[in-house]
Amino acid sequence: MSLKRSAAPCLALVFLLGTTLAAADHPSSVNPTSNVVAGANGEAVYSHICQGCHMPGGQGAVGAGHYPKLASDPALVSWQYVATTVLGGRNGMPSFGTRANGEEIFGAATLSDQEVADVVNYVRSHFGNTYKEKVTVSQVAGLPHPGGPMNPASTVSH
Amino acid sequence: MIGTTAGAAAMYQAMSSLGYAAESPYQGPIDLQGTPKGASVVVLGAGIAGMTAAYELRNAGYQVQVLEYNSRAGGRNWSLRGGDRYTELGGATQHCEFDEGLYINPGPWRLPYHHRGMLNYCKRLGVPLEAFVQVNYNAYLHSSRHFGGKPRRYREIKADYQGHVAELLAKATQQRALDASVSKEDQERLLESLREWGALDRDFAYVASDSTSARRGYQKHPGGGLTARPIPSEPVGLADILDSRLWQGIPAGDEIDMQTSLFQPVGGMGRVGEAFGRELGPLIHYNAKVIGIQQDPHGVTVSYEDTTKPGATLNARADWCLCTIPLPILAQIPMNVGPKLATAIGKVPYASAVKVGLQFKRRFWEEDDHIYGGISYTDLPIMNIGYPNTGYHSSGKGVLLGAYIWGRNAMEFTAMAPQDRVLKAVEYGSQVHPQYHKEFDNGVAVAWHRSPFTMGCFGMWTAEARAQYYDDLCRIDGRIALAGEHASYIPGWQEGAVTSALDAIGRLHQRAVAEGAKA
Repeated sequence: MSLKRSAAPCLALVFLLGTTLAAADHPSSVNPTSNVVAGANGEAVYSHICQGCHMPGGQGAVGAGHYPKLASDPALVSWQYVATTVLGGRNGMPSFGTRANGEEIFGAATLSDQEVADVVNYVRSHFGNTYKEKVTVSQVAGLPHPGGPMNPASTVSH
Repeated sequence: MIGTTAGAAAMYQAMSSLGYAAESPYQGPIDLQGTPKGASVVVLGAGIAGMTAAYELRNAGYQVQVLEYNSRAGGRNWSLRGGDRYTELGGATQHCEFDEGLYINPGPWRLPYHHRGMLNYCKRLGVPLEAFVQVNYNAYLHSSRHFGGKPRRYREIKADYQGHVAELLAKATQQRALDASVSKEDQERLLESLREWGALDRDFAYVASDSTSARRGYQKHPGGGLTARPIPSEPVGLADILDSRLWQGIPAGDEIDMQTSLFQPVGGMGRVGEAFGRELGPLIHYNAKVIGIQQDPHGVTVSYEDTTKPGATLNARADWCLCTIPLPILAQIPMNVGPKLATAIGKVPYASAVKVGLQFKRRFWEEDDHIYGGISYTDLPIMNIGYPNTGYHSSGKGVLLGAYIWGRNAMEFTAMAPQDRVLKAVEYGSQVHPQYHKEFDNGVAVAWHRSPFTMGCFGMWTAEARAQYYDDLCRIDGRIALAGEHASYIPGWQEGAVTSALDAIGRLHQRAVAEGAKA
């Protein structure tokens, strides 16, 4: 793995995790057999990534802290809130948006704007949520993305 | 007066504030003197940072209490052994069925030789160490799409890559392509060094020979008697190596954190946390879930629940609070700190990582493949296979680290039920070691985003976040200081936890001494 192409803070992560083949520099080539999410629908994105924390059925979980329950969640009334959270992360939740400056963060996972739109529509219409309005890929593209301006005018109200 | 009593702490702070040193800034045990009589600290979290702080503060004369969510000491410093149970977020419980003496370390697993803080605590706590093998020349580099999906030995790829590059450079030199940058005299020395570095022949060619086979391995190794004659092996072509990208695995031991020597505690990394826990004894309150942190002009009150007796709120009160709670959890706990610290706490997402431990009926990697310790790397989603660096040549069962995964692959493994993670690790790993299917016995899988006590693996700082929030995260806010790997420039390493804890208590101590002088 090319250390020279990593930004300084990433170096520490590379050190931590050791060297592996093709991991950081070629995320698309890492995983020839389980690349299930590419071009997939919202359900696939949810079940392969989101449910790691938010759990199958959107039930959330409680330990020393908690993962928010998405099932029957009134906060999901705002698609902007959901999409902004997926794109930019919130507290310990990593950001999933494609970085506006093209930077690749070691260890991060990235969803396309289409995948973000799909998964937002999925959670807002499942698990007891019945919001009809569908967010489009261009609406997602208009929201702040990680690595972009911090507080654009289009910032969400909720 | 602070005076000279806090000198060591202040010096320590100054040194560690340089940050990003290639080596750990640890310079020896901290010396906290002049502790005001009766001064007290409540430490949140009995991981490496919290217990380092508690140990040193207790030794300095503070009244110390530690609140820990788990029923054990160590936090991410942890080994899973036969008989252990682990319930992850979502409720799935795994029963580890490893044989006596076998384990995996779901969290950290190696100690670089220059992580002097960790090494020093191992020594002071009586935790014996043994060698951790980072680079094993006989372990594998594996591409599922090259060389027919068959793994290659590290030594073959390293020797061949190095040999071909040496040959190319020698040719360039002889064809006078380097005349502008290398003097005539140095060209001769360069050629001589390339021959040695690349195992080139007298014509500066990298070819099948005794000298190249001595590095990459023979087709038939030399022996004794009538069957002794060795047969050299044929190098892999440069184009095949370049195309396969297996060269990416060559520098695995080149960074300072991976350079020989590295260590592991005998019996598992968790021995460190266990030893700290024994040392601190009744100072640690287990099963304590922190639900609020409130400071006032005179001290800090931490409210918590005993998770074995839910319903009642308990309080711990002290002059100062050293908080090592992982940030995803801390961000959800009501706490009256200033806006800068409160903001910083919410700005560090946690990395995803998964480790899978697999027990096999025999140590086939040693018996069949002659791999003793170290790591194989693969482009499959399991990414790493780690071989036990202990118990070599023993008969009976053995435990491999069957997967060490991060990034998107880790998230996908996290989203699976634990038993499915184990089955997937077996399925993928069998492409590297076909013995897996026949020899697999049982396994456990830890996905760090499902960990109830961290909600992630470690703080994933970006350059922008560091520039904006790191100092705010580390500064003392009133009577509260944060520590942990997340408050260090060595994220994910235990040395980051140790050095951040020592830095934080050095600064807290200065304040306590100053306040004691006023009182």
